[in-house]
Amino acid sequence: MQFSKKWLQEFFEESINEIDLDLVLTEAGIEVEDIQDLSSISNDIVVGEIVEITKHPDADRLNICQVDIGGKDILQIVCGAPNARLGIKVPCAKVGAILPTFQIKKAKLRGIESFGMLCSAKEIGISDDADGLYELDANLKLGLTILDALELNDEIFHLSITPNRADCFSMIGIAREISAATGLAIKEEIKPTLKATFQNLQDCHVIDTVGCPRYCSLQIKGANNSSLLPAFFIQYLERGGIKSISPIVDITNYVLLKLGQPLHAYDQNKINGKISVKQTIKNEKITLLNDQEIQFQGKELVVSDESGPIALAGIMGGKLSSIKKDTTDIILESAFFNPTHISGRARSFSLNTESSHRFERGVDFNITQYALEYAAGLILKYCGGEVSNTENITNDLPSRNSIMLRTSKIANIMGISISNDDVANILDRLKLEHTQKNGEFKVIPPSYRFDLNIEEDLVEEIIRLYGYNNIPAIRPDMEAKMLSSKSTKKSNHNIKNDLVMLGYNEIISYSFVSKDVELKLHGNENPIELKNPIASNLDVMRSRIWGSHIEALLYNLNRGQKNIRFFEIGSVFSAIGNSYKETNVLSGLAYGDQIPEQCGDKSREINFFDIKGDIEKISGNTLSFTNQNKSIPKCFHPGKCASISFNEINIGWLGQLHPSFQQEHELPRNTYLFELNMSVLMDISAGEYIIPSKFIPVRRDISITVDKSIMVGEILTYINKANIKHLLSIEPFDVYEGDSINIDKKSIAFLILIQDTYKTLEENDVQKVVDKILESLRNEFNATLR
Amino acid sequence: MEDLRQLINASKLDFASCNSLTELDNVKSKYIGKNGPIAEAMKSMSGLSNEEKPKLGAIINEVKKGIEAALSHQKKIIQEDILNKKLNDESVDVTLPGIKRNSGSLHPISLTMRRIETIFHSIGFDLASGPEIEDDYHNFTALNIPESHPARAMHDTFYIDKNHVLRTHTSPVQVRYMKKNKPPLRIISPGRVYRVDSDATHSPMFHQVEGLWIDDSVNFANLKNVVQEFLQQFFEDDSLTIRFRPSFFPFTEPSAEIDMSWNDGWLEIGGCGMVHPEVLNQVHIDTESFQGFAFGLGVERLTMLKFGLNDLRPFFTHDLRFLQQFKV
Repeated sequence: MQFSKKWLQEFFEESINEIDLDLVLTEAGIEVEDIQDLSSISNDIVVGEIVEITKHPDADRLNICQVDIGGKDILQIVCGAPNARLGIKVPCAKVGAILPTFQIKKAKLRGIESFGMLCSAKEIGISDDADGLYELDANLKLGLTILDALELNDEIFHLSITPNRADCFSMIGIAREISAATGLAIKEEIKPTLKATFQNLQDCHVIDTVGCPRYCSLQIKGANNSSLLPAFFIQYLERGGIKSISPIVDITNYVLLKLGQPLHAYDQNKINGKISVKQTIKNEKITLLNDQEIQFQGKELVVSDESGPIALAGIMGGKLSSIKKDTTDIILESAFFNPTHISGRARSFSLNTESSHRFERGVDFNITQYALEYAAGLILKYCGGEVSNTENITNDLPSRNSIMLRTSKIANIMGISISNDDVANILDRLKLEHTQKNGEFKVIPPSYRFDLNIEEDLVEEIIRLYGYNNIPAIRPDMEAKMLSSKSTKKSNHNIKNDLVMLGYNEIISYSFVSKDVELKLHGNENPIELKNPIASNLDVMRSRIWGSHIEALLYNLNRGQKNIRFFEIGSVFSAIGNSYKETNVLSGLAYGDQIPEQCGDKSREINFFDIKGDIEKISGNTLSFTNQNKSIPKCFHPGKCASISFNEINIGWLGQLHPSFQQEHELPRNTYLFELNMSVLMDISAGEYIIPSKFIPVRRDISITVDKSIMVGEILTYINKANIKHLLSIEPFDVYEGDSINIDKKSIAFLILIQDTYKTLEENDVQKVVDKILESLRNEFNATLR
Repeated sequence: MEDLRQLINASKLDFASCNSLTELDNVKSKYIGKNGPIAEAMKSMSGLSNEEKPKLGAIINEVKKGIEAALSHQKKIIQEDILNKKLNDESVDVTLPGIKRNSGSLHPISLTMRRIETIFHSIGFDLASGPEIEDDYHNFTALNIPESHPARAMHDTFYIDKNHVLRTHTSPVQVRYMKKNKPPLRIISPGRVYRVDSDATHSPMFHQVEGLWIDDSVNFANLKNVVQEFLQQFFEDDSLTIRFRPSFFPFTEPSAEIDMSWNDGWLEIGGCGMVHPEVLNQVHIDTESFQGFAFGLGVERLTMLKFGLNDLRPFFTHDLRFLQQFKV
């Protein structure tokens, strides 16, 4: 919604110049997006007339115009506008004139000198219309500044109106808000008396009485639709954001802007038989004013004649019955369409018109006939002709039941007390009819307020007018109840801190990725697709975060980074039947050096065990890693990847990126990726706490030889499960394959700590433990002592 | 006898010329070795009378002690020299950089969310969360946004299927939480939200933090206080003020936009209001016994202001040069 301040002034006797309109509107809940000061236009833009026009010899689209600006000299101006023609008056910017975006200089266009510029409405900053020259009233004096010619001593207010305030989509609505906020009285408008000189013979029927509770129409004969409207008409329309089209259409739009009532004029001669307001039958068609052809699904609300739909009710008229410059006989329609029947309809046809915008929010159902006759009066006044009587078909209008409003409720919600008198005063200012008894008001909202239905709606009105900013900030009284907190649960903050200390950088990537990444990298053939993705490479929900990690890796490699570690904690998504599963995961990538190149330490590339070590640190060493899982992601190097599990349930993956992907992305070094289920990770607790023995453990090292295929993890699991008495810990410290042992074998060296809680162990006790371990290894793994 | 005593001084001179422990050892044997003068003197004792023996013995002892003292004195000097040399050799250039491991960083959005959680936790707000693929009911209907309501056009929604969307706000968490928990309740819920919108100031995915407080009497004046005090704590500025502008959200009544004082002007920072009775009805909370407020703040906006950033895009482009500035 936008409007001219000058027009707004017409609603008040007193001057509104003293009012800070920006502040008043803002505090009323009407957002002022911009205030456009038209008077800042350059005085060097004046009324000019094209007195001679010739084709440019070297450019088809350019004309050489001789422009009279009222002085002694005629200006030669080269102009490319399609509507440049002899005799029209247009804004002429002289050399030196400052336009919103640039300054006019003397120029040569394809060899022809040009002393100024002829302007469009957009170029002089009065509207967004950039289609050709802005054609001025032929009666304007040459040389007059455009500031004076167009009465630009005005401001345009650009507003953003919330969907609940349908009533503010009109000048009268804005005026009412200003009146309520400031106390300025709105001028009473004298109702025009319309003299019908002939009988309305158009047969009208409302079939869908729910969709159209009120339908008013009248006929006008002999009007001249190429007459000239006064300048202010066009100015108000243009400053209200509506382009001037023809006098009758302009008048309907003027009434729309002024009263908020959309009107429609049909060419009487194009109407076939009786008019009915009804729902469509499937496959009926209409070509709209904007040339859009619509085929109906059925049940859309339309206005039809006997040949079919002539208007999409409340949204847009049909092309066929639209009025032209030479139309003389019209049917003028003013209706109240039910918001629920219009709502969403325009959007379903990708339309958004001034009319649909208002009807779907709610139009004052008590001004239907008044607005119609007001418009008819203006048409008669400016275009001539005769008018018929009005046909008013009214069925069940929306009810306006009284709403209870308790002063005590207002105080409860507002947080401070308010008197009955103050409440009554605010209701008066808002023109809300009310009665009161013992602090209980009964309020009847007016026909133009569709947003007042329950007590809380009225409470908002009271607080709004009381002034949101007159309410103090009061610290709440609250129960001193402590929040519960689980000592065993890690927060994601703890986990994030650990990762940061391990050198990982947190990133946040989009939850949507490309289908290609999902299929190839994440191995997901059934991704969740977005119906309306923002881009074709962001069209499905991610099932892993690795794709984004690799993208981030490449981005940083291209910017000279060498050692890169990322992590992200976020949701990944999968479809299970008709429902969607979201899992919170920790995902990470590591690339480059474990120890970066520097003085004093030898650099070393990251390997699988560095990352495994990182995972063990953040999880407290409670996870197990195997590569026996058949569902290990395909994007991994098959020999360097692991399924990570906790209590034998898979909770994640670790692996080196498969060389084929590495090659595809031209990554010179190995890339490691991991993923862990966050909810499991957060729940891993430290277990039981013990007091360590005061005896120093005894260390023994053993070295065994086993088949290459046996994993160290299997051995450790087996020994740890065997519950060998006095065995404190067993850790591998070397694995060797090579010359001195059989090609199928490998040698593993273990560091064993042995301890008794109550005494220092004797040598033979220690040996017993070692023997027991060796015996188990021999039996289970066919191990030999090396 | 006097010859014997002169040995002390002679040894002192001899020892002083020694520069190493080996040298000192060699010179030492010249005086107190098996065949040295002291040993000789001891041997000569056997030919002396019983009266003279103790006298000579005393002198030998005195001389021996004197030589040993000189020896240990010189030994100390040499050892000290050795230590000093060693220390000197071992000294390092302390201006060389410390040993680097790869250093990590926390995302600025994460830092902001953590800060928001901490501040609200301090007055007893619990943390709640909800799904990002949300059903139509929780994202819209339960929040008093029925189908075809013009307010749905305010949300540029990503659709998954007829009944599922990517949540357009964190408000559905309110509904989910109130279904499971009875008032009084206080929660905040930070998280990702999605809108079909992408330019310099809009990202199709961004973060909001939702706040909800329901009890028997918490009111609009309290809401102003909670929002203002939070922003003061967040920006560490007690002079920060807020302005409420009347606005419209289907799930609050009255509703307000929150503006914050910033550089001599006002800056929109979020929306809030008293929870709409229809929303409370949906979760079976009696509106005559309970009332409360909800607010939603834009995390990106808070982060940009906190860190003095004027562009939103670096949050999602993963540039390490940007990210590594933000430490825990």
